[in-house]
Amino acid sequence: MKLRAIELKNVRRFVEPVRINGIEDGVNLLGAPNESGKSTVFDALNALFLIPHRSTANAVKQLKPHAGGAPEVTVELDTPDGRFVVSKRWLARREARVARAGTLIAQADEAEAWIARLLGDNGAGPAGLLWVRQGSARLDGGTTSEQQAALEARRDLLALVAGEVQAMTGGQRMDQLLARCREELAAYVTPTRRPRSGGPWADAQAVVAHLDQEQQRLADSVAALQQALSERRRLRQERDELQAPEAEAERASRLKQARTQLEAAQKHAAEVRAAEQRLQTETLAAASAHETLAALRRALAEQRTAKARADAARQALDAAQTGLRDSEHHFAVAVEAYQQADAARQTAEEQRRRIQAQQAALAGAARCKELGERLDQARAARQAVEEASAAASLGPTDRDMERLQTLATALRTARALRDSTATRIELHYAAGQQGRVMQDGVALEQDSAHLIHASTRLRLGDLGELWVHPGAGAGELADVEQARTRLSQALDALGLDSLDAAKRAHQAAQLAEHRRREASARLDALAPGGIAALEQEREQSLAAMPAGSNDDAAERPFMSMDEAEAAFRTAQTAADAATARREAARERRDQARTAQTQAQVRLEGAEERVANAAVALQPFTDTDEAALVRGAAEADCRRQTAEAHCAHCKAQAPDLDMAQAALTRAQSIQDSARNRASEIAQALATLDERIAANAGESVEERLQETQEQLQLARRRLHGIEREVAVLQRLETALEQARRNAREQYFEPVARELRPLMHLLWPDAVLNWTDASLLPRSLERNRQEESFDILSGGTQEQIALLVRLAFARLSANGGRHAPVILDDALVFTDDDRIERMFDALHRHANDLQIIVLSCRQRAFRNLGGKVLQIEAAG
Amino acid sequence: MPFRFIHTSDLHLGRRFANIPEPADNGVRGRLMDARHTVIRRLAQAARTHGARHVLLAGDTFDSATPSPQVLRQMLAEMREQADVHWWLLPGNHDNLRSAEPVWEAIRRDAPSNVRPILDTSVLQPAPGVHVLPCPVPVRAAGRDLTASMPATATPAGALRIGLAHGGVLDFTDSGEHIPPDRDRSAGLDYLALGDWHGRLAVTPRTHYPGTPEPDRFKHPGRGRCLAVSIDGPGAEPDVREIETATFAWIRQELPLHQGESAADALEALLPTADRRNTLLRIIATGWASPAAHAALGATCDRHRPEFAYFDLQSERLGTLHSVSDLDQIARSGAIRLAAEALMHEADDDQQPEDTRDIASAALNRLYAYAREAAE
Repeated sequence: MKLRAIELKNVRRFVEPVRINGIEDGVNLLGAPNESGKSTVFDALNALFLIPHRSTANAVKQLKPHAGGAPEVTVELDTPDGRFVVSKRWLARREARVARAGTLIAQADEAEAWIARLLGDNGAGPAGLLWVRQGSARLDGGTTSEQQAALEARRDLLALVAGEVQAMTGGQRMDQLLARCREELAAYVTPTRRPRSGGPWADAQAVVAHLDQEQQRLADSVAALQQALSERRRLRQERDELQAPEAEAERASRLKQARTQLEAAQKHAAEVRAAEQRLQTETLAAASAHETLAALRRALAEQRTAKARADAARQALDAAQTGLRDSEHHFAVAVEAYQQADAARQTAEEQRRRIQAQQAALAGAARCKELGERLDQARAARQAVEEASAAASLGPTDRDMERLQTLATALRTARALRDSTATRIELHYAAGQQGRVMQDGVALEQDSAHLIHASTRLRLGDLGELWVHPGAGAGELADVEQARTRLSQALDALGLDSLDAAKRAHQAAQLAEHRRREASARLDALAPGGIAALEQEREQSLAAMPAGSNDDAAERPFMSMDEAEAAFRTAQTAADAATARREAARERRDQARTAQTQAQVRLEGAEERVANAAVALQPFTDTDEAALVRGAAEADCRRQTAEAHCAHCKAQAPDLDMAQAALTRAQSIQDSARNRASEIAQALATLDERIAANAGESVEERLQETQEQLQLARRRLHGIEREVAVLQRLETALEQARRNAREQYFEPVARELRPLMHLLWPDAVLNWTDASLLPRSLERNRQEESFDILSGGTQEQIALLVRLAFARLSANGGRHAPVILDDALVFTDDDRIERMFDALHRHANDLQIIVLSCRQRAFRNLGGKVLQIEAAG
Repeated sequence: MPFRFIHTSDLHLGRRFANIPEPADNGVRGRLMDARHTVIRRLAQAARTHGARHVLLAGDTFDSATPSPQVLRQMLAEMREQADVHWWLLPGNHDNLRSAEPVWEAIRRDAPSNVRPILDTSVLQPAPGVHVLPCPVPVRAAGRDLTASMPATATPAGALRIGLAHGGVLDFTDSGEHIPPDRDRSAGLDYLALGDWHGRLAVTPRTHYPGTPEPDRFKHPGRGRCLAVSIDGPGAEPDVREIETATFAWIRQELPLHQGESAADALEALLPTADRRNTLLRIIATGWASPAAHAALGATCDRHRPEFAYFDLQSERLGTLHSVSDLDQIARSGAIRLAAEALMHEADDDQQPEDTRDIASAALNRLYAYAREAAE
């Protein structure tokens, strides 16, 4: 779109129609003083393109002239489809029209839609018109309100940039929509998109979970109730069956029959027991008869055997007594031989012991003598140690000597110091005058030097006295005296009179110490454990010697020890042989005694057995064996009869256990029925109570209610989840669109802007905020300045360049957007404005730029087509 | 002398209507519960009006097998008050003999003399010469036709034979559970009083479902009623008349919308004008509407909703038609316009899953609403 003419009627000061003709491509300049209507033209164009003709907004009302009337704006414009005339009238007889070549092609809302399409309503980018409006050029003059307006206009600069960015990215409106969306979303979710605690979503989830749980609980209760009802029904049926009259009669009949059968069985069992008892009696009688017969036969046999064994025992006893007498004789002989051999052995042993004692006495005497000698030597050595120790302790110690040497050295040093500073006089007598000078009555020698330490009087013979007073040296004298005193005190403390005496005493003490060490070593060698130990050892040796023996009195043995040992061994061997023989004889004698005793015992046993056999036969004195044989046969016959009877009874007996079991079973059935009836009654009571409780809680109603609530809650939860999904989808769509817009438009705009910026600031870089995509700062000379603190001139220059960049982008896309600048460069200095003019012309080739300015002189050099506001013809 | 009686069923006393959302100051659930109780009185009144002394309740007197003591006792008390009417209560599937055993025991034990629970299939004689052949439901799902024994059940010759049963006729499955539609003829019945179907249905001239006297769902059209039956004698065709008994009307209305149609006007035309306080209304919006129409429909519903006991707009089946003019009202250009176009494209994309399209459409509607909100 390119504007070709503008006509205004009833627009503010232009009550009568005015027209601007001849608007061309490239730069157009409408220069006029303030209040000449430039801004009115700007506002009129703004209204024509952006405010619907039905609007009564303030922006429209402000167009109305004071005299009244309906504002009308008409423009002629060229589009790729040709030239059109677009007009609008507001407030009265509202109208919007689009005509081409005198033909109306759209009006009213259709005309509005046509304008919208013209401005680029295809969503492809910024609007088709690009505005830069400063508003007022008089920032540094005019009234207060004018200055305020100018300030507002400066602030609007950023808003104007924002306007374009908004058109591109949605800007603040996008922010508002996103904020609205996120505000609603935030009620449901956390920033991490989880259900917000306490929010509707989380609450709905909690309600569903709770109702789910409650439903399960109630379903369990209902199931329990149904089970209880079923169980009660079953128990009632069981109880009815148990307590049915026919069932009870059958149980009673069964019990009675069982009892009768048991009684019959018990009676027959008594008969069987009697038969068994009789059989047992007869069996015992037969066994007794047979036992009596057997006993008689055993007693007779035993009597015969006992007598035979008694005879044999007597013969054995006689033989044993003979053997015993022989063995006792042999034993007595062996004992006598043994006694003789033992006496010889004892004699040999005594001899050997005596020889051993004599040898021990001799060795002890020698040991005692040696210990006595060592003891004497040790005592002498101890005395020598004691004497040497006493001598060593008399002299000064090494430390004493070291101290004395130190003090003597100090004295010598003090004296040398004193002498080095002392007054020195030398005498050289005249001939014949030797010895005339006297000091303290002593004549001083010729050619001798004398040291004068203190005021000294010299007698000069007849000449009188010479007093010599040394000027200094009193200190050194005191030092010498002090050193001497210390040395004297040290010597006195040791009881010595001189240092030489001290040295001699020290040497004598060292010799005594040497002697002490030697004596001590000797003593240690003689008595390692000390003299007392040595004395104790000698005492013990003396005590060990045989009483009364000593070295001198020791008896010499009459034979050697070897001879004594040989004699003893011989005697011992003979004694051992005699002992063995005696023990063998003793064993044989003891064996003979045992044999004799055993024979005696056997004889006694045999005789007792004979007696016992006689006793055993006594009961049978009046009975013969044949009679006993007959009695046993009769008893056998009676037992067989009883056995047959018993077998017959048993064969005829009913099964008592079975009868008892039958009765037990019948009784059990009866008892079980009663117990079961009791249990059922108890169980039914419990079930009734449980059923009544559950039924009273109307669990089924509550279950259904809970199910319906759950269904409702799930529907609500589903609705909320859908609401969250919708909001998230909308948020995603808006964010994605903004990102896309940035990628699609913003970067190209920035690219277009870069060379324009460099026209003014060769190294400048404009930074943009990521969120709002507004200029954030300007980098120049490697320094970043916030856009807010930039000068008004810089801000307006950036705003203008941004619009040019948008315009270039639009033109590159085949869509021309006129750039209308209303006092857009108010604060720009003359140098910079020239470069801005260059920028305008540089892009004027493919753009249409309309500059409205009151700065006629400054814009004189802008160049381009100069426009005029003229009365409409 | 004709025999007159009231035939009703499915009172579902104790139903709590937890599926009906209840705003804080509405109390609709309590009102619905109370209406189920007070219908007893209206049934008695219908009997009096009709000159009948007997009310045959064909099952499902209670909504569950374990109604609360209040529900049970208050029902008995109400029936006791209507002393001139005899109430014959047949167990249905909801209050069948097995599950609701404690309830029927309590009724048998504590009911007034004019209330008679029917606990077996013994033939009843509510009046001389009138024999009722009852089929109480033994378990919730018996798995058989409970009226099968009716043909073989003998009654004196010349007496009226009235069947009383609970179960479905229309569920023509092979389960064998349904009641044959010709049971009246096969059993020689003068009238077969059925329950279970909550809507009114005349199966044959002699076989009828009265429907519930106080509806509890949107499924069946029409207001709740009972049947006033009059039989002149054996073999005579019964005279069956409907008597309205319900307090609440449950109305389900479809609202088909078309492009360009005013959704608000169409809805206004559907809304009942009378007794809205006792009306539960469910509007099923179908067809297509613009975002503006969606918004207008929602706003109209919001305006009318408080007048009704319950008002539910279901618009899941109402699609959104998006047009360029809708998008223009959101934004003519720029990123917002792009976002709107992206949502519209997704909503119209047949390749997308239906849920995705639905979400995108709703998001676009929301964007439209935000834009309008910001414009205002």
